[in-house]
Amino acid sequence: MGSSDERVVAVIMVGGPTKGTRFRPLSLNIPKPLFPLAGQPMVHHPISACKRIPNLAQIYLIGFYEEREFALYVSSISNELKVPVRYLREDKPHGSAGGLYNFRDLIMEDNPSHIFLLNCDVCCSFPLPEMLVAHRRYGGIGTILVIKVSPESANEFGELVADPSTNELLHYTEKPETFVSDRINCGVYVFTPDIFTAIQGVSSQRKERANLRRMSSFEALQSATRSLPTDFVRLDQDILSPLAGKKQLYTYETMDFWEQIKTPGMSLKCSALYLAQFRFTSPHLLATGDGAKTAAIIGDVFVHPSAKVHPTAKIGPNVSISANARIGPGVRLISCIVLDDVEVKENAVVIHAIVGWKSSIGRWSRVQGEGDYNAKLGITILGEAVTVEDEVVVVNSIVLPNKTLN
Amino acid sequence: MKALILVGGFGTRLRPLTLSVPKPLVEFANKPMILHQIEALKAIGVTEVVLAINYQPEIMLNFLKEFERKLNIKITCSRETEPLGTAGPLALAREILIDDCGEPFFVLNSDVICDYPFEEMIRFHKSHGGEASLTVTKVDEPSKYGVVVMEETTGKVEKFVEKPKLFVGNKINAGVYLLNPSVLDRIELRPTSIEKEIFPSIAAEEKLYAMVLHGFWMDIGQPKDYITGLRFYLDSLRKKCSSKLAVGSNVIGNVLVDESAVIGDGCLIGPDVAIGPGCVIEAGVRLSRCTVMRGVRVKKHACISSGIVGWHSTVGRWARLENMTILGEDVHLCDEVYSNGGIVLPHKEIKSNILKPEIVM
Repeated sequence: MGSSDERVVAVIMVGGPTKGTRFRPLSLNIPKPLFPLAGQPMVHHPISACKRIPNLAQIYLIGFYEEREFALYVSSISNELKVPVRYLREDKPHGSAGGLYNFRDLIMEDNPSHIFLLNCDVCCSFPLPEMLVAHRRYGGIGTILVIKVSPESANEFGELVADPSTNELLHYTEKPETFVSDRINCGVYVFTPDIFTAIQGVSSQRKERANLRRMSSFEALQSATRSLPTDFVRLDQDILSPLAGKKQLYTYETMDFWEQIKTPGMSLKCSALYLAQFRFTSPHLLATGDGAKTAAIIGDVFVHPSAKVHPTAKIGPNVSISANARIGPGVRLISCIVLDDVEVKENAVVIHAIVGWKSSIGRWSRVQGEGDYNAKLGITILGEAVTVEDEVVVVNSIVLPNKTLN
Repeated sequence: MKALILVGGFGTRLRPLTLSVPKPLVEFANKPMILHQIEALKAIGVTEVVLAINYQPEIMLNFLKEFERKLNIKITCSRETEPLGTAGPLALAREILIDDCGEPFFVLNSDVICDYPFEEMIRFHKSHGGEASLTVTKVDEPSKYGVVVMEETTGKVEKFVEKPKLFVGNKINAGVYLLNPSVLDRIELRPTSIEKEIFPSIAAEEKLYAMVLHGFWMDIGQPKDYITGLRFYLDSLRKKCSSKLAVGSNVIGNVLVDESAVIGDGCLIGPDVAIGPGCVIEAGVRLSRCTVMRGVRVKKHACISSGIVGWHSTVGRWARLENMTILGEDVHLCDEVYSNGGIVLPHKEIKSNILKPEIVM
């Protein structure tokens, strides 16, 4: 129904080095958004999803990493997907909505009719074209992607209540102590440019309140409102919550998978989800082999074209092998991510683990985790350049970079 | 000459292996434990061996008949109806042990593996003219055991001190004795301890002498010591008769392989490994410090770094056993399973990892 002039801009929030410290030790070497899931950098998945949006004009990555950390990636992905991708660095944290507002001039340059806002560390099927269709139908200023979760886990997220027939957002609350709803905020939104007006409204309101300066002793205790700078605007608490119930915001429910990639353990789980998705969207990316001339492949496996896997190895399910890795004879890999330049020697076994760049896994050694993606030590993580010597066993451990285990 | 081997009871410390087979018949370095001792006794001219047992002689009898025939030595069982301790069984077997020549007889503890210096003991016994000789071995931590306090030059035993708190000596009873028939007069037919009752009374009369063992010694009654004992035994075998040990590019250190066992390509075996008859070790397997009993199949790429795999068991592909994992008879470890010190009872299938030492029933 949109005319060919209706351009769409997508914004992906990528965070910064002080955010996402739970992703260490992997994030000691690489910005979390560039950590590979299913063989592609984390941010690649929302970016390719954006490509499916009709009339997509531009993708912006907004974060507070140094520009040089994203420069190479951004230019190569622009070439590969034939869509302009640009990294914008925030000079200071502005909050999830403030960051969007900070770059509004740039975003509005193409005069887009709609703006998608995505969080980079969300793993889902990104049904963006469907969301846009629904949003146009609703006619509000924004539509939020929601998913149903178990009532016990709902309070880890933002809980939303929506009208069952109109899908209007009636109520929104962030991490409530009591149960409000089992529908939660997925961190994927589509807005019309009116969103900037809404953000500005919050900003000015805060300025006014600061000017009033009539602080009772009670207000003095509310350090939350006192210490926030006027241009720090949080999307959830400051925009979504107040606008709920005013026929401005709507919800779109996804029935597919959804996870947050906060910890390395979750990256292994999400890698599996994306690999499973490849079977439907891009099966040519998955490896095949029956153990005769090439290694035996079980389930969903990604092998980078430059990686070498010996024919007597058995790989999978849920394995991702990155560039220049060498997998030796008789190796068994199950549910793991093997990063660039890793060497896995003969007869070694790796189960429920992430093996850091340039690491070396010795002959007959065993690197394994229990496989509980949520537990702190549920999977074994080897940082960059870790050496596991022959026959050593590593179980449920996190090993910092450059360590030798013997 | 005669000998008595104190076999005793159920061998509970060597479970789960002894759930399938009586302890004397559990193989050590590819030969039943008791056969090591009987062969050594035969070699110095012992004509009759009495096994003092307090359970299940029926299972043993077939094997014993075969040993009798092959070695041309008489083997009898002396069955205790109640546990008689370490001296009582001698009284029970009195009639067999005493013969007209009045010769001394050997007494062995069935768990002891050593060089069995029987000839040296005979000479030692004759030279001191006492009533009884025992062997002692030097240990690093004497307080764990009973220490034998003796005169350095003559070997005359002064006393025994059980688990001493202060250092009194570093020699402990090695469990191999040479006794005059008169010792039997001191032992009543009731539960009696040779160390606590009989030897002290002989020592008080200054008729007990101790000979220090110079070779290796081990009490292999429990798995940890079984594995250490194998190392000592194979070491000794290399010095005496190294042609029995395996050689090859896939062998490290001392390895004993039965001639009917098959080893695949790309394996690395040793050190201190014994592989029993009919075993199949598939390609890419790593074995070290372990014993693999008769009929075991270890599948490709598996790794065993310390343990005992019981008869006819299978170890799956890419499995990993370590830290004194003991698999009983007919245990099947599925592919990729990890066992850290698991002790698995017979006739079991293991599908999931054993992450810390535990008994799996």
